[in-house]
Amino acid sequence: MRRFRIIVRVLALLLAGSFLHYVLPQHDIVQISQAEPRRTDFGSFNRWFYAQADSGSTELEIRDVFYIFTEKNEIFLLGFIPRDSTETMVYRNEDTGWIWPPYFKFDSSNLHGQATVQAGRFTGDGDGNWAVITHYGWRIPFLSIFPNAVNIEPVESPDVRIIPWFNIFFFVFLVVAIVFIRAAWRQFRERSVDPLLDAAGDQYDEVQAGVAERKGRISRWLGTWRDKSKNRPID
Amino acid sequence: MGFIKLVIFCFIGLTVIYFSVSIFSRSVRKERLEKQFDAENPDGGEPGARDAFVAEGMQAYHSSIRPKLIGLVYVVPTVVIAAIIYTINAN
Repeated sequence: MRRFRIIVRVLALLLAGSFLHYVLPQHDIVQISQAEPRRTDFGSFNRWFYAQADSGSTELEIRDVFYIFTEKNEIFLLGFIPRDSTETMVYRNEDTGWIWPPYFKFDSSNLHGQATVQAGRFTGDGDGNWAVITHYGWRIPFLSIFPNAVNIEPVESPDVRIIPWFNIFFFVFLVVAIVFIRAAWRQFRERSVDPLLDAAGDQYDEVQAGVAERKGRISRWLGTWRDKSKNRPID
Repeated sequence: MGFIKLVIFCFIGLTVIYFSVSIFSRSVRKERLEKQFDAENPDGGEPGARDAFVAEGMQAYHSSIRPKLIGLVYVVPTVVIAAIIYTINAN
């Protein structure tokens, strides 16, 4: 039972962790080589990993999605450890609109313009058009799932220090919220649930006592019909 | 439409949070008043004095600025959303 509980907890933690890893913004240092729109025929599963049509447009089965093709500096351990190698990375560039995830991104066309300009500076020999792309999501090639680029910031060189302010504030807020919910729940239990349970327990005891007494009364009454000569000690 | 959905769901969620926070805040204040009275009157005081003390303290709490500050539950997310919209979409 204890092992089962540990497994459930680890699974829940993993699930929450990967959810946050998917949804929270991350920063990549990249060189954009190309930006283009491409008709995308969503499958029934990978549809979940795309946003909806541009805000203000009609939702259709199939539509064009902007993609950004880049050479990305590889990172290790959420970017805490930089590496020397590069890898190819492709981002999609979609409006998230008003709903989910709450990036409130409406400027995918502007971002496409920015990405195109940045790609025009691409020389191919490893210098010139460094940029920091802020994105959320995962690249899963065998399901054709792409991370969504949210912002492109041209930088001078790949050695920029990135401070993830939003994530810092988010985790501080998360800790504060968890502490608050714990305190509120304890207060609620101490002040509302426990007295109620005590009262219910008392009532239960009273009912039990009442039943016992009534039973006693009935059996006493029944006893008056019994033959008094039976079970009488023999004298 | 997305925006209306957002407003409705945010309003429902924030209302739940608002009421939970105000109930919690009231409960904490009441508990503190009760403990304060018990500390000042170890013998229990006169009958009814404890309730009167707590009621008076709660009245003072309700007319103070603290319960009104819980209204920030609605204000802060709105400001945060506006700030996110600005920073994401401004180039």
